[in-house]
Formats: sequence, C-alpha cells, structure tokens
Amino acid sequence: MANSTNKSGAVMVIGGGIAGIQAALDLAEMGFYVYMVEKGPAIGGRMAQLDKTFPTNDCSICMISPKLNDVGGHINIEILTLTDVLSVKGGEGDFSVTVRKNPRYIDMSKCIACGECAAKCPKKVSNYFNEGVDNRKAIYVEYAQAVPLKFSINAAECIYLTKGKCGNCQKVCPAKAVNYEDKAEEVTLRVGSVVVASGFDVFDPSVAETYRYGQWPNIITSMEYERILSASGPFQGHLVRPSDHKEPKKIAWLQCVGSRDVNRCDKRYCSAVCCMYAIKEAVISKEHSPSLEASIFYMDIRTYGKDFEKYYNRAQDAGVKFVRSRIHTLTPGADGNTVLEYIDDAGEKQSETFDLVVLSVGLTPRVNLPKLAESLEIDLNEDGFVQTQPLTPINSTRAGVFACGAVNEPKDIPFTVMEASAAAEAAGRVIAEAKGTMTKSRVYPPERDVKNEVPRIGVFICHCGINIASVINIQEVVDYCQDLPFVELCTNTLFACSADSLGKIKEAIDEHKLNRLVVASCTPRTHEPMFREALAQAGLNKYLFEMANIRDQNSWVHQKEPAKATQKAKDLVRGAVAKAALLEQMYQTKVSLTKEALVVGAGAAGLNSALSIAKLGYPVHLVEKTDTLGGNGPKIFSREKDVRGYMVKLIKEVEENPNIKIYRNSYPTSSHGFVGNFETKFQGPDGEFSIAHGVTVLCAGGHAHKPTSYLYGENPNVLLSLDMDELLATNSETIKKPGQTFAFIQCVESRDPDRPYCSKICCTHSIESALTILDRNPEATIYILCRDIRTYGFREKLYQEARSRGVRFIKYCLDCGKPEVVAGANGKLNITIKDHVLNRPLLIEADYVTLATGIDPTPMREEIVEVFKGQLSAEGFLFEAHMKLRPVDLATDGQFLAGLAHYPKPLEETIVQAKASAARVATILSKDHIMVGGVIAVVDPDKCAVCCTCVRACPVQVPKIVRNETDPALRGHAYMEPAMCHGCGVCVSECPGKAIKFQFFTDEQLLAKVEAMIVEKKAKPA
Amino acid sequence: MIICERKPIDEIKGFIAGKKKVLLVGCRGCVTVCNAGGTKEVEILAALLRLDAQKEGVELTVDEFTLERQCDPEYVDELADLVAKGYEVILSMACSVGPQFLSRRYPKERVFPSLNTCFIGGALAHGVWAEHCQACGNCIIHNYGGMCPVSRCSKSIMNGPCGGSSNGVCEISKEVECVWHLIASKYMDEGRLEEFAPIQPIKDWSKSRDGGPRKIVREELVK
Repeated sequence: MANSTNKSGAVMVIGGGIAGIQAALDLAEMGFYVYMVEKGPAIGGRMAQLDKTFPTNDCSICMISPKLNDVGGHINIEILTLTDVLSVKGGEGDFSVTVRKNPRYIDMSKCIACGECAAKCPKKVSNYFNEGVDNRKAIYVEYAQAVPLKFSINAAECIYLTKGKCGNCQKVCPAKAVNYEDKAEEVTLRVGSVVVASGFDVFDPSVAETYRYGQWPNIITSMEYERILSASGPFQGHLVRPSDHKEPKKIAWLQCVGSRDVNRCDKRYCSAVCCMYAIKEAVISKEHSPSLEASIFYMDIRTYGKDFEKYYNRAQDAGVKFVRSRIHTLTPGADGNTVLEYIDDAGEKQSETFDLVVLSVGLTPRVNLPKLAESLEIDLNEDGFVQTQPLTPINSTRAGVFACGAVNEPKDIPFTVMEASAAAEAAGRVIAEAKGTMTKSRVYPPERDVKNEVPRIGVFICHCGINIASVINIQEVVDYCQDLPFVELCTNTLFACSADSLGKIKEAIDEHKLNRLVVASCTPRTHEPMFREALAQAGLNKYLFEMANIRDQNSWVHQKEPAKATQKAKDLVRGAVAKAALLEQMYQTKVSLTKEALVVGAGAAGLNSALSIAKLGYPVHLVEKTDTLGGNGPKIFSREKDVRGYMVKLIKEVEENPNIKIYRNSYPTSSHGFVGNFETKFQGPDGEFSIAHGVTVLCAGGHAHKPTSYLYGENPNVLLSLDMDELLATNSETIKKPGQTFAFIQCVESRDPDRPYCSKICCTHSIESALTILDRNPEATIYILCRDIRTYGFREKLYQEARSRGVRFIKYCLDCGKPEVVAGANGKLNITIKDHVLNRPLLIEADYVTLATGIDPTPMREEIVEVFKGQLSAEGFLFEAHMKLRPVDLATDGQFLAGLAHYPKPLEETIVQAKASAARVATILSKDHIMVGGVIAVVDPDKCAVCCTCVRACPVQVPKIVRNETDPALRGHAYMEPAMCHGCGVCVSECPGKAIKFQFFTDEQLLAKVEAMIVEKKAKPA
Repeated sequence: MIICERKPIDEIKGFIAGKKKVLLVGCRGCVTVCNAGGTKEVEILAALLRLDAQKEGVELTVDEFTLERQCDPEYVDELADLVAKGYEVILSMACSVGPQFLSRRYPKERVFPSLNTCFIGGALAHGVWAEHCQACGNCIIHNYGGMCPVSRCSKSIMNGPCGGSSNGVCEISKEVECVWHLIASKYMDEGRLEEFAPIQPIKDWSKSRDGGPRKIVREELVK
C-alpha cells in the first residue's frame, strides 16, 4: 500500500510482559510493524515468574509460553532486548525514538543456548528471576522458556568484564558466540505511536520495619513464594522454607504490605491483586500439602473480579482461615518461627505461631519509570504511575503515547490484557492511514507436487553443539538411519537451526529431490515453524516435515546413560521416518471475508466498540433492541467524571459517523456462518432483515438488580444507587436539607448464595455518592453499611477521603446478620445493625436509604447465546474464550464481547474492553482473506453413524450434522467447518465409529510411528 | 435406541479362556451411537484382550470387524468369508439381537455377547443415557404430558404420584427423578391441571408380553 500520509506505519511497544506482548501481537495482526523494546535479556515479564494464576489455577508459564513464541516468530515484530529508551522526538504519527541497545556480549545469531558457558562460569550471583531465593551464573538465560532463548552476560557480575580475567565462557562456547568486545549502540527508529507497558515493581517490605523482612529468615514476599511453589523454581516445586528447607506446617499471609498504608509504606492505593493471589497461594499450598494450616490476615477481602468471589468461597470450604486483622507486631518464636497476635471476631486476643510468614506485597511503579517518563515526556500521577484520565484510561498526557497494564494502576492479568488490546486500538487508530506500509510478508516459490512420488526422505541429525552430541553418538545414529525405509539422505549438522544449516537443508531438497524431511534435534514447540518455513522456501509443502526430539526427551534426561540414549535416538528417528513416509501434502485454502462488523447492543460498550471499529476504517452495523442509544450510561452520575456529558458526546459521534449504520428496535433472531463470513437475521420495526458481517461484538449489557428486600418499592425514601444518581445529577434540593441522615447498604442481594459474585462497582459508587452529598450538604450524617469495602486500585483514595470526612462505615456479615430496615416515625427509616466493635445492635434513623444492589446480566442472555452459539456462566454472563489471556474473545472465532455482558465493571473498564474489542476485530478485518484448513478434523461421511458424539464433545461447538449432498434422501453426516475447527482432536478421539480423521496426526501415521519405534528396524524395500 | 454397555472385562476373558483365535464383531447401529460397540470400542476391547494375553504370556489372535448392523441377515452375511477362516470364539459387540443373529447364521460357531443390553433410551448428555421406553406395545404417553410412566416411574403406576416422591426425586434413589413430579409440574406450568386429575383407565397390557415373544408381520411388505 502506498503511504499517502507522512505518518509512520510502525509502533513502538515498551515492555515485554503480558501487556506489551498482547499489544504487540494485536498491532502486528492489525497491519502495523512493531518494535518491542525490553529492558531485560528476554521478554515474559512478571507473568513468566508466577506459579499458577487465579481464578482458574492454570499454570502461568504454560499460558504465556505460546504467546512468547508467537511474538518471537512474528515477521512483523522486532524484539529489542537489553534496550533503553533515551528520547522521543516529534509528535503523534511521526515520532523519532532514540534507543540504546546495551551489550549482551553474546552474538544472538550464533548462540544456540546449549548452556555450556553457564556450566563453566565460575561466578555465582543472586538469581533475580527466582527473587534471589537461589543463585545463577553471571552468564545466563532467565528461564527455560525465555524468548529469545539466547544467553547474555551481566557485565557488572562477569569476572572477565570487571577484572579482565577468566574468559571461560568464550573458551567453551562451541558456537563462538561470546564477544567481550560488544558495545552499546544507539539507534533512532521512526514510529507513529508508542505503547508504554513497562509494568511494575514489587514493593520492597524491608522499608517497613514492622515486617522484619530481611531480618528474620522465615519472612518472605509473595513473589518469592510464587517461585518456591513453581515447578521450575529453586526447589522444583517442593514447598519448603528457603532458610532450612523444612516443610512448613503453618503459613500466614499478611495482606496490604505496601498497599493501603500511608503510615509505614507511603502507599495509599490498593494493589488490586494481592487478595486473590494470596488466596490462590493458600489454596495451591494446601494442594501441595493437605494438612497445611493456611491463614490470611486481611482488612477487606477484595475478590471483585469474574469468578473471584466463588474462588474465595471455595478457599473457605477448603479450610483456608481468614482473619480480619491488620497485624501490627511480629514476635520471634522458637526454630525461626514467628508469633502473631490478633483479636478474633469474638473480641478475644489470640496468639498463634507460624513456620512461615508470607508478605502479600503490593505493586509499585517501576524504579526507572520516572526516567522513562522523562524520555517519553509524559506525566506521572501523584502515586508515581503514568497519569491517565478516568474516561480515557489508556491515554498518557502526550498525544500518540498510550499506556497499558500495571504501569497505569495496579491491576490483574485479564484487565491488563484488555488494556493492552485497547492500547493497540488507540496506537493503531492514530496511524490508521499508514496501515500496511511498514509490514513485511513472505514470498514463496511455486510448490512442487509430490503426491505421486515415492517417498524420498532426508534426515538431519543435529549435534546441538554438545547438547546432544556429548551424550548421543551422532555418527552411529547417522550410519544407522541410512538404511531406514525411504531414506535418501541422512547427515549430521552442528546446529540444524542455524541460518547456514537451513540453507544446506534447502540445497539438499533440491539436489536429492527429497520430498519429505525429518530433523532430529529439539522440540517442535519452538522449532517446527522455522523448519516448515525452510520447506516452503524450497518449494515443498510445509506439512511434509516431521521432528524427532532427541534433546529434551533424550540427551537432557539420559545424560548418564549414553549407550542407551544413542539407542533411544535411533528409535525416535525410526519412528519419525515411519511417520514421515506417510505424510501427505495439505493445503490451507483462502476464504474471502466480509470486512464489516456487527455490534449487538448500543450501551457504552457497544457505542465505544462501534466507534473505534469505524475509526479504524471498517463499516459497522450497530443493532439496539430499544429505540434509544446509551444503555445505562445516561443514568449514571459520578463525582469524578462527567458521565452524562460523555455519553451525549459519544452518542452524537456515533450517530454522525458515516461508517456506522444504526438499527434501532431490532434484535437478532438467528445467525450462522463462521469467522469472516457470518450472516445474522434480525427482527426490526419494519420486519425481518439480515446483515452479512465478518465479525461480531456482543455488548448485550446488564442492569441494576431490583431487590425485594429492605422496603424497596414500598417506601419512597428507599432508593437504588441509580435513583440516588438521578437526585444528585439534577442537583436536587432535597439532598441539601440540613440535619439529614443518609444510609447506604452494600451487597444488597449480592454476594449471597443466589448471586455468588461481587458486582465490582457498588462500593466505589456508594462512596462517590456519599462524598457528593457531603460536598453539597456538609452537615449531613452518612452511614455506609458494608461487608468488605472493595475500592480497588486508586479508588482506595475515595475510601480514605470518605473516612476522613466522617462517613461512618459499619461492617456486617451474612452469618452475624444483615441490617434490618423498618419504617419509623416522621417518615424516617429505622435501620438496626449489629456493630462488631461494640458487639451490640445500633439504631440508625435515616432520611434516605440507598441500596447498592449488584448487576444482573441482560434478560436477553438466553436468546443471545442461542442465536450466537455461545455459553453462559452459572451467573448468566457470557463465557469468554479464556478468562486470563482472552478476556475479549468468545470461544467462536470472530466473536468478541465487551461491557456488562462479560461481567459487572465500572464505565472506565467497559470503555477499555470495548476499545479492546475493536483491536481484536481489526486483527481479522485487516486481512484480505483468511487461511483455513491444515491441522484440522475431517469427517468421512461413509463411516459416520450420525451419533452426535462429536457434536457434544467439541469444546467450541463446531461439528454439525448436515444433509448428504449427493442424495438428500440418504442419511446425513457430521461436518466440521474448516474455518472454525481449532484442531484440538477431541472429536477424533471420541468418535465411536472412527469416522473422523485428524490431519497430520492420522491413525495410520501415528500407528506407523509407534510400531516403528517399538519394532526393530525393517529391511529397506528393494 | 437400544442402550448397551460392555460386560466386565473378566467376564469377557472367561468366554475366551484357553482360546487362541477370536473374532470381535462390532455394529454400526445403536451401539455405535451409544459408544458401546462401534469401531472404536471394538478396537479398544481387542487391544485390551491382546495386552492381557501378552501379560499372561499366552498366544492370542484377535481379529476385528464392524458390520453395518447385526440385526439384518444381509449384513450378517458379509461376515461369511471371515468366519470361514476359523475362529474358536466370536464375540459380538451388538445388543443381544446381534449374537443371536450371528449364531443362527453361523450355527457351528461359538458366539458370545460382550455387551449387556440395558434399555431403550436416549442420550441426556455426552456419556449419559436414560431409560425412556419399556416396549409395552401400547403407547399412552400422550395422557401423561408426553412422559412415560411405564418406564420412568419406579413402580410403573398409571395414576400417580405415589407419595414417595420428595423434592422431585423418587424415594428409591436420589439419582432417580420422579416422572410424576415432572408430569404434574408440566400440567401446572401449562395451567391445565384439570386434565391431569382424571383417573386413567386400566392399561391394556395385552400388547406387552401377554402372548409370549412378540412378532410383527406387515402383510403389504411380505412378498
């Protein structure tokens, strides 16, 4: 595409954690070239360090590792490691960013990560990846799955670089990759926009004397604890105290260390994630050791996210003890134990001894963030995070520079991922005209058809330096493989993955007319795409390739038995060759797509989603079931932001955007098709109509729950939060009458067995309302009756302000009794609640009672999932594709969601999710076609018994029973749309009629492989 | 469909004890659909028997074949060439009709059932099947909100509920839902409880097992 503007089609993403990764992947798929700048030697960030993640208990590194490889292998993402940003000149659309690439002292093009250097390095230093719990060498990779998987030398630690002696690594490196002369280099890159995703630091608790961190041995941080629990951590996942390697019997978690503590820690905000991670650590620890006693000492439990409250409930059922107490003093006990004193619920003083105390440390701004902000010329807020505004939560103070993730405010992974996609939308939108001007694409020679050829297999056995060759006798394996069936060529190579070797592989394909390739080296997880690429460049179908993993599955695990390892290598290669002989050419076909989006629901989510998609340049059909746009938005009043004004402006902008077509009073009745090619029918005011669209965004919304308790609907002075908003928005005089008492009751018909979820917004909203009342009527008396106050992140400041201005918070719990409300004299409302400090009932005479009810999902939810074939959670919210890493995607490709349909959330988060949905949409609509097929399931209609097993077993509802095309009178059969099949293989293994073939993993291929591996060598056919 | 499940492996091993050559025959009808005797289940059972033989150190050949249906003679005929190879035991993985048809067609062979035929029913979800019919020969479900009291009530009572139902569950087990609760609820939901109230007449059981084994002859189809 010619660039008709002076804008650059490239974006710089600063930070290689999950936020930066998501933003980079989205941007690259949207058609922009990405420079990913990472300060450390590898990307991955904090998420790579975590053990499991809440609330699904998925393994963190297992989830992020495929994303690391996606970034590492993306043709349009350039990773710059060990790099600092020095200055950003210019303006939005045309920035010149100067960066300094610090020396790695390792030639990345040569290093094959064999680890020989680290084995011989004499210098041990504290391993910061393991939070200093163990040591590593001065030459190192951070972790096994690191991308790029290349060693680096920390100059400050290296003996040679500090004293000019040693040089061991250079001597032993088989690839000659060590270069002590490496120098820092400054480069200037031109980009159109910048995304800051540089993450957070973990609070250092040694500054708070109380916690004895660094003074006593068995006081550790939660981040150290993550590494201890991790299977790849310093103790291989054995739960032991780092001081004496004893298994702890009793562990205490102390919450809010470095959060919600102005006094000792100088941190007034809530770190938003610590309650959940502490509960998760407690639950996982009890899985490690069921007899373990786990206690969490907290002020408020803040389990406000999707499925968090249920996780909290399950933890209580599993025996995790929750104690509402902020521990003020730690006392030393015997054997390195710690004694904690606290007052229990009954008011009794307790003293308990713990083997291990885990400090649930908060999130703080990165220590280098002020310097980075200076280079970027952006402002930081008073807490030291990047300054943003509530209704533009990812915009920094400089146009064209956006910020996402914990660099803005502490937040969890799902919301970080949403923000990252939203930042991608913003960064892409300002340079939308320059889309595709910087991206590269691959060009291949025409493919040779080998269908009718006898297999001619080339086998390359990799030494991997000494990684494989030091254990396995490579020459013996090579000699052995010469005689395997169909093998034309078998040779060894020092590093199969080096550019040089890939060239030789291509030459060999030509010279020996090879039509299948086997590489015996490492793992397909990281290397298969590279070798497939080599095949494609040599004019062979990329699926004619098979790998034998003789490193991870052989030389690494059988180091002490070289003879047996050599035998196993022969077995593995024999199996790979047997499968390779049966490999077939497979083709992905191009399918065109409709470059238009459907957005269902025109509340704040739908409007934002539609507007962002339209501004990225794609036509949008916006369908709304009522005759007004805006949803709940125009009903909200906020002290912190002008929501009503914002909604008016937003609606106007949507109505005036030529790319958006609005359909009012219309609702969907049926939908079919697949990504790129959906067709949905609607019932509208003028009858039925239909829309063809490539993607769908479901923004079906939700609404405030209408309670049946606390005299709601019976007494005019009992209000819902939105009723109070109306009084405040209209600046009602009734609020200002002197001497009035206002009460707010939180969690009304929420967080109970009928609605076991927290609606996230109500605590903050009631406090905002209370403060507005005080602003206008300073003499008012205000009570907030609550269970836990959940003002997460910077919202905590509102809670502090409310307390300091005299708002009285009285806690209640379900077990000890909810408040009671009855009509009193003179139109007052009499509230009775038991005060937990006085331990006796209090009577409050209130003029107004505001009920903070939760958010219910839309009543249309059943119809929505019926029409769009989605799934609902038990609470009735739409199920996203993955709770942690795909919070904006639905399980069906090409479908996305935003707003309350996903889960209750404040407006600013709805805006973020809606903008994120636009970025996700653009990753699909930016393409001219989609490629379908390849490694997918295919049904043989003759064998299909139409039993519906696949229909029921498929996790993404792809199989359908279709009519017999040739003769409709005959029985039909199951069918998987190639564009929809994810290639997981579940249906293949479940099919009772063996009617489904899994391409590239057919029964014939796998059985041939297994048989060859267990049966001795068959003679070569004559 | 007819819902079956595989017999315990030890019982099947008993059928082939001491034998060296076994033919395992699956069926692509009901038992494929209820995941009990299709090609995949045949493969699994054959593999189990072979593995067991290897473990015990005995010689055993298990051949596999899946017929379109075992309840039609034309399909059973397809097995002739294979049977001619000589097997000591034929294991049928169909409902009990299958082994009976196989033994009638191949009278010299020793045919054993490897499934237990359980009931006539349908799938509630993947892997869950429930009884819905007892083949009483005289369908009356239209009098009961479209639900069958013969097969789905533990007592097969025609004028229920019996008084042993609580919270929609039968007194015999918490796993058994009370069909009478469902019938009554349906009538209530539809606001036609008065249609539920009348005493139903005594059922005509003559179409059931009254005259011994049943047979249907459709004259117009018989040539």
